[in-house]
Amino acid sequence: MAIYKRNYRAYAGPLTPAWSRSWILTRYAWRYLFRSRFMTIFFIVCFFPALFMALGMYLNHSESLLRLVRLPPGQPLISDFPTYFRRFLQFQSGLAMILTAFAGPTLISPDLANNALPLYFCRPFSRVEYVFGKFCVIAWLVSLITWVPGLILFGIETGLSGTTWAWNNLWLANAIFVGSLGYVLVLSFLGLALSAWVKWKPIAGALVLGTFFLGAGFGAAINAIMRSTTGYFIDIGHMMNTIWASLFRVADYDAGVSLTAAVVQLLVVCALCLWMLARKTRAFEVVR
Amino acid sequence: MSSAQIVFENVSKFYGDVLGVNRVNLVVPPGITSLVGPNGSGKTTLMNLMTGLIQPSRGRIRVLGLSPDNPEEFFREVGYCTQFDTFPKGFTGYQFVNSYLRLYGCPGKEAETLTWQSIERVGMIDAANRKIAGYSKGMRQRIKLAQSTCHSPSVLVLDEPLNGLDPLVRAETIALFKQFAEEGMHVIISSHILHEVDAISDQVILLSNGYVVAEGQIRGVRDEIEDHPMQILIRCSKPGELASKMFQQEHVIEARIHKDGAGLLIKTRDPSKFYLMLNKVALNGVGIESVAPADDDVNSLYEYLIGGEESTK
Repeated sequence: MAIYKRNYRAYAGPLTPAWSRSWILTRYAWRYLFRSRFMTIFFIVCFFPALFMALGMYLNHSESLLRLVRLPPGQPLISDFPTYFRRFLQFQSGLAMILTAFAGPTLISPDLANNALPLYFCRPFSRVEYVFGKFCVIAWLVSLITWVPGLILFGIETGLSGTTWAWNNLWLANAIFVGSLGYVLVLSFLGLALSAWVKWKPIAGALVLGTFFLGAGFGAAINAIMRSTTGYFIDIGHMMNTIWASLFRVADYDAGVSLTAAVVQLLVVCALCLWMLARKTRAFEVVR
Repeated sequence: MSSAQIVFENVSKFYGDVLGVNRVNLVVPPGITSLVGPNGSGKTTLMNLMTGLIQPSRGRIRVLGLSPDNPEEFFREVGYCTQFDTFPKGFTGYQFVNSYLRLYGCPGKEAETLTWQSIERVGMIDAANRKIAGYSKGMRQRIKLAQSTCHSPSVLVLDEPLNGLDPLVRAETIALFKQFAEEGMHVIISSHILHEVDAISDQVILLSNGYVVAEGQIRGVRDEIEDHPMQILIRCSKPGELASKMFQQEHVIEARIHKDGAGLLIKTRDPSKFYLMLNKVALNGVGIESVAPADDDVNSLYEYLIGGEESTK
């Protein structure tokens, strides 16, 4: 047997905390995403609605500006804030869906296509940390265009109307945050799961959109043919609207399904996505 | 049990009904160890077990006394280079090494220093800031090596590291492995390029159908195979005469004149008796110039052990 003298030492310097290592994947993924001009421009465009909403709020409190746009004095531009914020969230959710369709497929499928997962997992880095790092990519992107500007708008209105308004409408801030969070979870898991199962990026992106649009189409068809509401269970958009309607206390919203059913359906979608991710994010794919 | 070795204790790995490896008992010392076997023999499974990428169905693995159950310590000691080109899209060589080093938990500045050190070690400084997509096969192999050694592991596992390399790059890469081994690393290589395995390995592990069929130094392994005949090439002036004398011996099972007519290939079941007998023959004026084992390489061992149809060449 050859005898070798060991004349080097392994790295023994300081280490970053284990929880922070997932962020490395997130940072690199963002850097890759924003190399795309389309992605960068689209992401900036996603903030325009929030700017318009903020402008509307300012206008609502400025009598001189209201006169300028020839609105009768004393008649507010925005009278129903729950609807105002809900419409904002609904619009942003559409943009978030497109953002996910673009960003999601770039996350896991390239690693699978390049057999890169063994490289991640032969480090002190678990599958959960890997998925979390990738999850954060979509979760933060979607957050930045949904609940973050939503809460900023709430803050602006608080500044313009005073703390009494804020206290009386604190449930609105909760609705914006919780409603967005549910959507962020569903979109992020869906984007990741489809990215893990479909290696061709355009198809994976189309599937993200298809899950919403085809789900809505088939759901409506099932409801029409069977004269029931069971079709809603494959319509993620409808389930989200049901939850938002409840959170924003919309009285006349005909959901067709209960709030509990909507929440359970979305949890089932998340669980299904997690199962799909668990099946695919392995160091080695066992071919039997 | 030494904490400076890789130890497999009765390790089995099954993928459902499919056998990966079965009842493996191994002790891998420092130096270069080659895993040799045909496709499906269990080489990659053994490497994956060694690197903690998969867990054994049965048995226990200790790498330098550490278990994969303790990933923070375990993975600090293990470096892994896959057989595939697994490069994130658009990365430069520097980014590739640096990003994976950060996953080890190295803070920014330390990671930068270590990245440059490992890139320098594989001679890639000039190309470090170029995109990997533009690298040659040899450069990709070297940047993969830099990535797997950037944290100075004690165990370096290399899956088919010589595949597709041209002779020059192959020689450079082998020199690098030898350098790692000289520094005290366990370098575990799987390869089909047997003559290179022969040249660089301190020991070999021969696998077939998920079983370790032989292990140890190449010569040592050969000695252990008593059931199989040993082939010896005798360079002499009268090969025909020598052949007739050899056939009279019970332990000689085959004697064949070498194709150049200036030698004789003998297959014997008992090399000790053969060498004793050869001394007597030499005294009778056959004119023996040289005697050398003709099958003291991995490929021959492999053919002996698992049969010609599964030979790696």
